[in-house]
This record gives sequence, C-alpha cells and structure tokens, in this order.
Amino acid sequence: MNEMNCDHVIDYLNGTLTAEEMEEFQLHLNNCEECRELVEAVGELPYLAEATEPPAGMKARILANVFDDSQQEAEPIKKQEPTIEAQQTTSKQESKVVPMVKPPKQQTWWRPMIAAVLLLSLLGNAYAFMKLSDEGGGGGQTESAFQSIDLQASEGFGGNAKAALVRDGESLEVVVQADQLQELTGTEVYQIWLLKDGKPIPAGAFETDADGKGAAYYQLAANTEEWDTIAITLEPEAGNELPEGEIVLSAGI
Amino acid sequence: MENRSDFMLYKQIQDKDKDALEQLYDRYEKILFSFLLKMTEDRTLAEEAMQEVFIKIWRGTGEYDESKGKFTSWLFTMSRNSAIDLIRKRKKPTVSLDEIVNMSDGDSSVESKAEWQEQKDQIQTAVERLSIEQQEMIQLFYFKGHTHETIADICNLPLGTVKSRIRLALGKLKKSLQSVQEGGALDE
Repeated sequence: MNEMNCDHVIDYLNGTLTAEEMEEFQLHLNNCEECRELVEAVGELPYLAEATEPPAGMKARILANVFDDSQQEAEPIKKQEPTIEAQQTTSKQESKVVPMVKPPKQQTWWRPMIAAVLLLSLLGNAYAFMKLSDEGGGGGQTESAFQSIDLQASEGFGGNAKAALVRDGESLEVVVQADQLQELTGTEVYQIWLLKDGKPIPAGAFETDADGKGAAYYQLAANTEEWDTIAITLEPEAGNELPEGEIVLSAGI
Repeated sequence: MENRSDFMLYKQIQDKDKDALEQLYDRYEKILFSFLLKMTEDRTLAEEAMQEVFIKIWRGTGEYDESKGKFTSWLFTMSRNSAIDLIRKRKKPTVSLDEIVNMSDGDSSVESKAEWQEQKDQIQTAVERLSIEQQEMIQLFYFKGHTHETIADICNLPLGTVKSRIRLALGKLKKSLQSVQEGGALDE
C-alpha cells in the first residue's frame, strides 16, 4: 500500500480513493497543514454559485424518499438508489388512492444505462430459456414467463420502443428501451403505463439522451393484474398518477 | 435548538433523528441546490444529486467526524461527487471553451444578494486574483467535474501538464483566499 501524501489530494477531492486509501489520506490530512488548508479553500468554491430558489416541493420529495428508503434498507434490492421520478410516484401514492390496483409494495428504478443492459440480458436469458424449454421437450415449466413487445408510434409521433415483461411468480418486471423519440423540454418525461380495460397505472419513466434514446426498468412486487396494454406518454412532469400527456407509443400485451 | 452545530446535528442524524436531518436539510438546501445546479446545469439532475447526498447522510455513508475538517467542506465534497456521478451517467460532456471562464454566473451587479454573500465575496475576490488559465482549470476541474483526460483534450495539453496545473491552481487559490481573509493584498 502506497503511503498517502500530498499527491493524492486531488483524488481525495474527487472521491476516487478506496475506503482504505481514504482513511490513510485522512491520517495524512491530520498531519499536513498544507493539504488541509487546500481542502478547506476548495470547500469555499461552492459559494460562488448564484443563489437559486429550489423547486417547489423538493424538500418534501427528498425527505419522504430518504426516510422511505431507510425503512426498506434491509431489502437488498433497495440498494439501488431510486431516482426522483420514483420518489415522486411513491410520495403521491401515499396521499392518493389508486383505483383498481394496490400500490406496488416495492418499486425499484435503475438508471437508463443499466436498464439498457438489463434489457439485453433479459432478452438473452429469455432466448436461453426458450432454447432450454425446446430441448427439454416442454417439460419443467416454471412460473416465470417472458414477453417481448414492440410498441407502435401514435399518429403524429415518431420513434420506436421495445418492452420486455418478465413475470416471476407474483412479481412483474417491465423493461423498456426506446429510440428516436422527440426531444424533451423542461420538466417533461416519457412515462410508461400498464393498462387494463383502459385504466392505467404508472410503470416507470425515463428521459431521453441527445439521440432520442431512453430506457427504464420498473418492478411491481405484487402483481395480480392481467394487463392488456402498455403505453408511453409524453408527460409534462414526472410523478403523475394518471396520464395527462398524449400517447406516443403503445401496444397490446 | 436553532444553533445546534452541524456536527451535533450530524451525530443526531446518525441516531436516526429525523428532525435533525430536516434541520440540516433546511440549513443547506439553498446553497447545495445552487451549487449542484451550477455544476449540473439541470434542475432535475441537481435535485437528484441533492437526494443522493441526503440519502448518504441518513445512511451514514462516508462518515463525518470533526477530524475531517469543516463540515461544509465535507458536505460540499460529497455533493460534488454525487453530481459528478450523475453528470457522467446522464450527460455527454458538453465542451465549449467560450463558456468556461465565466466562473461566477451572471452580472454581479444585478445578482440578488445570496445568504452566503460574505463567503461569496471572499472566494470571488480570491478567484479573481488567479490567472485566467488558473480560473479555467478550476472551472473545468471543480465545477464541470471533468476528468484530467477530458481537460487535456479540451485544452489540448499533455495529461501531466493538466495535473500539475490543477494542483497549482488550487494551491494558488488557497494562498489567495488566505490573503483575502487576512485582508491583505496578494504578495507575489
């Protein structure tokens, strides 16, 4: 192990040290006035920021999510830190009664890149699963089921999207990957919905990158509904319980 | 109650005191959001980074104690790292040399007074005493969160030069700030 010295101060500021190195550098800091003063001076830089009013409701959203998160900390899947959209959904669900479906017990979001990788891996798994089933002569049916869906663009909208639904016992995972969508502005998000008889529940949201690509992963822990439609709408903001925007892409399930 | 020190609040938060977390949140909401917005240039991303910061504090990730220096330095460092993570995940690095030098945004004459105006005046004076090139380094490294490699690309400099220039710029900033705080002129 290299001894931590003044050369590592930038790594320290960037948080790129391992936990062990961090501790060692901490010891160095205790003994090195030069580095300590440098860290303190850098710590004044944020005050250069222009004072900006935080968004309305941010405090409630963040605190709700922080505390909500801690209650479920024991569940390993919660290690994934939820994004704002997830948290808005959760906090709204506390105050609103969602018709028809029980609020999902557990919602987990992955960031788009991870979702994209997951989709690929799910598709791969599904392929392997089907192959195995074929070879096994149809024997050994499990409760898990996989469905891949191509969504069609509504009139006036471009883009395409693929969804994968994975049912495993009571849980339903929804992975969506979209491409060539129109650019979002302001607080807009693409919101995914699952519908039965025209009644929707939110099932994840995503933003697009510069190329109009986006992806989302969503999990319903206790899903008993037989959904008939999946749709993506362009919502004016994240966290809506019911769609306000127009349907951009959709498909029957 | 009002004047509980940051460290005291932090200790209470470690004991899962929700009120303490809320107090700490109130204390730093505006400066953190302003800082994170300056870094991310995106309100949604700034909020997301902010949330990660408070989740980390609540969970006690990367523990703070007084031997680590000022609480704000620790808090800002952690916040900056959360923002950098998000910027790298979400955004393609946008690179434009023209927008770089403008360290303190906007026209300071019309800018409303910040609650942290005193600190702002000090650090701004300190930064203005640096060369343009050093200001650029701080902007690219600290606020934009660019890697050394990216900065080398942007500025068309060898990697080693970038590293030493960042180091030099921060060292100079330290001296300059000290001299501002002592009310003297920079004697160099």
